[in-house]
Amino acid sequence: MIGFILRRLAELVPVVLIASIGIWGIIYAVPGGPVGALVGENATPEQIQAVTAELGLDRPILVQYVDWLRHALGGDLGTSLQSREPVAKLIGQCLPATVQLGIAAILIGLLLGLPVAVASAMAPGSWLDRALAGWSALALGVPTFWLGILFILFFAVQLQWLPSASSYVPFWQSPGAMIANVVLPASTLGIYVSGIFARFLRASLLGELRADYVRTARSKGLRERDIVTRHVLRNAMLPFITVVGLMMASFIGGALVTEAVFTYPGMGRLMIQAIATRDYPLLQGSILVVLVIYVVINLAVDVLYVWVDPRLDYGA
Amino acid sequence: MTPSADSRAPVLSVRGLTVGFPAGRRVVQAVRGIDLDIFANEMVCVVGESGSGKSVAALAICGLLPPNAVLGGAIRLGGTDIAHADAATLRRIRGRDVGFIFQDPATTLNPVMMVGRQIAEAPVVHGQLAPAQAGARAVALLREVDIPDPEGRVRQYPHQFSGGMRQRAVIAMAMAGRPRLIIADEPTTALDVTVQAQVLAMLNRRRVETGAAVLLITHDLGVVAEVADRVMVTYAGRIVESGPVDAIFRNPRHPYTRALLRSMPRLDGDDARLDPIPGQPPTPAALPSGCAFRPRCAMSRARCAQDDPALRATGVDHHAACHFLEEIETLPAPAATVRAPDQGGAAPLLDVRDLRVHFALRSGPLRRRTGVVRAVDGVSLTLRAGETLGLVGESGCGKTTTGRAIMGLIRATGGEVRVDGQEITGFSRTRLRAVRRHMQYVFQDPYSSLNPVRTVAEIVAEPLRIHGLFDEMGGMARVAELFDRVGLSRSFMNRYPREFSGGQKQRIGIARALALQPRVLILDEPVAALDVSIQAQIVNLLQDLQQQLGLAYLFIAHDLAVVRHISDRVAVMYLGRVVEEAEKDTLYTRPAHPYTQSLLSAAPIADPALRARPGRIVLTGEIPNPASPPRGCTFHPRCFRASEICRTEAPRFAGGVACHHPGAA
Repeated sequence: MIGFILRRLAELVPVVLIASIGIWGIIYAVPGGPVGALVGENATPEQIQAVTAELGLDRPILVQYVDWLRHALGGDLGTSLQSREPVAKLIGQCLPATVQLGIAAILIGLLLGLPVAVASAMAPGSWLDRALAGWSALALGVPTFWLGILFILFFAVQLQWLPSASSYVPFWQSPGAMIANVVLPASTLGIYVSGIFARFLRASLLGELRADYVRTARSKGLRERDIVTRHVLRNAMLPFITVVGLMMASFIGGALVTEAVFTYPGMGRLMIQAIATRDYPLLQGSILVVLVIYVVINLAVDVLYVWVDPRLDYGA
Repeated sequence: MTPSADSRAPVLSVRGLTVGFPAGRRVVQAVRGIDLDIFANEMVCVVGESGSGKSVAALAICGLLPPNAVLGGAIRLGGTDIAHADAATLRRIRGRDVGFIFQDPATTLNPVMMVGRQIAEAPVVHGQLAPAQAGARAVALLREVDIPDPEGRVRQYPHQFSGGMRQRAVIAMAMAGRPRLIIADEPTTALDVTVQAQVLAMLNRRRVETGAAVLLITHDLGVVAEVADRVMVTYAGRIVESGPVDAIFRNPRHPYTRALLRSMPRLDGDDARLDPIPGQPPTPAALPSGCAFRPRCAMSRARCAQDDPALRATGVDHHAACHFLEEIETLPAPAATVRAPDQGGAAPLLDVRDLRVHFALRSGPLRRRTGVVRAVDGVSLTLRAGETLGLVGESGCGKTTTGRAIMGLIRATGGEVRVDGQEITGFSRTRLRAVRRHMQYVFQDPYSSLNPVRTVAEIVAEPLRIHGLFDEMGGMARVAELFDRVGLSRSFMNRYPREFSGGQKQRIGIARALALQPRVLILDEPVAALDVSIQAQIVNLLQDLQQQLGLAYLFIAHDLAVVRHISDRVAVMYLGRVVEEAEKDTLYTRPAHPYTQSLLSAAPIADPALRARPGRIVLTGEIPNPASPPRGCTFHPRCFRASEICRTEAPRFAGGVACHHPGAA
């Protein structure tokens, strides 16, 4: 098991390396640069040149990349051009907020999506199934920014139960405050993914319910409920785990809209900032971190797969 | 379990069972009135072709049918009225009073749950067993079905079991609640013949030990003859004949039973031409009027189209449903086969020398080569014009890989393949394509080997187009001629594969293979997916074509009776090697290799009188994993004649056999 994880991690190194080159390429392909944003509109060419040289941006791109990579490997992602603070520190502030939001959103999504999927798969075509399909369509169809604004208007402005602007409170510091701050953005995202989860798991469950081993379980006299919980769910989970992993990964990198609506201090906001000000080190660092997390989540999905499905083994 | 107080009361009693499925506005009757009684410690076989309603009836007995099924009639299991029982009662009966064994052990078990837990699940659910004792009970149950190391096996998952062991586990599971009735639906159809013999023997032993009644559903008359006490023959949703097993096989009274017995090749049979039943079984949605067998029956008369005959007594406990039971003796005898003239001495059309196909096993991130599977390991064969060589063996022995490697569909690792004297193993794809004009392949599964979105005429014409010979060889006129050849109406040419039955699809596959006027056909299990009555049609067609066109056949199959019927010579494969090859009659009457002997001994014979034949060999174990074959002779761990030398030294193929101790059994 440990060997399998280490081996998979080693395989990730070239992936991350190639991706980091891609990140650099894309950033430099976009017109404009950080210097203009720093020196202002009325700067003389000499001033621009001086700042460019000071930041080391006059060196060949390849040299800049290798230099950045060397530092990145040592954990030093450079200094933000705007705030002059270490990139690692800025990311260190935003990443836990995003991870916390992402986990909360996935949990809400599962909490809503799983029962919906099981209930509709057990009675396909029934009025309940159709009602729940309507729910999934609604969850998927309503734009998250609009749902977020509705939430703010109702729960924060009307009822004044929850803050309209969510801030990051670590769970271990104050669970109550954390929940109060995260429940609105997490529900916004969670309702959306619950639609995806419900649809996907329902299809997966229906496929499994036609399997021969289900007929076997029925022939043994099991209740339909027990057949689903004991036999079918674990089999249906296999493809579903991938979807959950993908959604989690996408939240880490891109809950942009929701974070913006709730002015939540996460990675999405950090990256928008970095793009707006052409803060290259901050942008490169953020993308790199998101990428690594993406890859680690995929690894976690694979490990989970092997754990759920005994037919797979760590050797493969 | 203890026998019931009144041992004459049936365990299961079914009267007038009907099952229908709604299709559009009407209800299609899959089962049209079945009566049956099963008593304790009795093995009743229900035999019939696909679509005869036998499985539907079995599922109906315990309410396992989909909810839209419409049931009629009375079903009594012990004291319970099943037909009117509520869902909770049915659930209590399943697993406790009735155990089920299904066809495919690969899919019957839940792949992500330990075998032991699945086996003991029913008694725990029914409160017969405390959950804490489930583990110990599972071990005991596995031991009762002869699974070695049951303590270790209960903690394993189904994929860690071989096919035969899985089916034993399923039987253990069916018996876990000590049911009075066991319903086994094609329990050995997915198993190899040597494993089938083991499993049937074990099932029978467990029946005697527990006193349970067994309802065994099968299409295989050989299996019926081996194990049945009583037999019910089903056709188009009804029982057309029922009686003691000897009466059914010795003195069949219904024209269908007679025709069925006559249409199948026998392991101990002669070369008499098979007598197929014309046409095909009716589908429940389109039944003929009157007697459902009428359109295929040689004796049908005007009355048969009007009245559907009821079962009538024709002997002790022997019933048949025919208006003309009394006249049935006068069926015409089948004509003898005219065999193609012997071509002995002519140069072989196909000459395979020391063919080897090895697959690398790769694992790890760098896909390192960690082992090798010798799927085919030194096979030599010759085939002359007009001759049929049968290639038999159990699953995984490499017979299909051999066929594909000869065609060049899989690249050979070594050895030579000569077609008409021309060595082709090193050929490029283009040159191979040219050779394939003379050598064509017919696939096992007629259901998936035809492209569903093209008309059958296009499918048959495709080889002509690929080789750029469509116009040269006569275009659509050639295709029409091929349809005549394989006995399909030209009016079908513009239809799509889904509109055809299995037998018709296989005819299309044969027509496609014949399009380029090949000289060699490689037939890979061409009749394995077909019903018995249809098998005979295809076998006869193949024999006629061979005679008319002088074709050479490499006939790959696992069914020993079919192979005997169609072949001139037979080669037996085990783990990638030919272990014995001989003229057909020599091989079947005087086999020299212990594996051939056990294979022939294990094959069920459709004759209950031979059930207790002396010297039956039931092999232990199953075919080893080809990735790690045993040292020495690969058969030695299962061989009853193995000695020291067999453990260390692989025997060479000499005098038609590869064995250190060849000879009579």
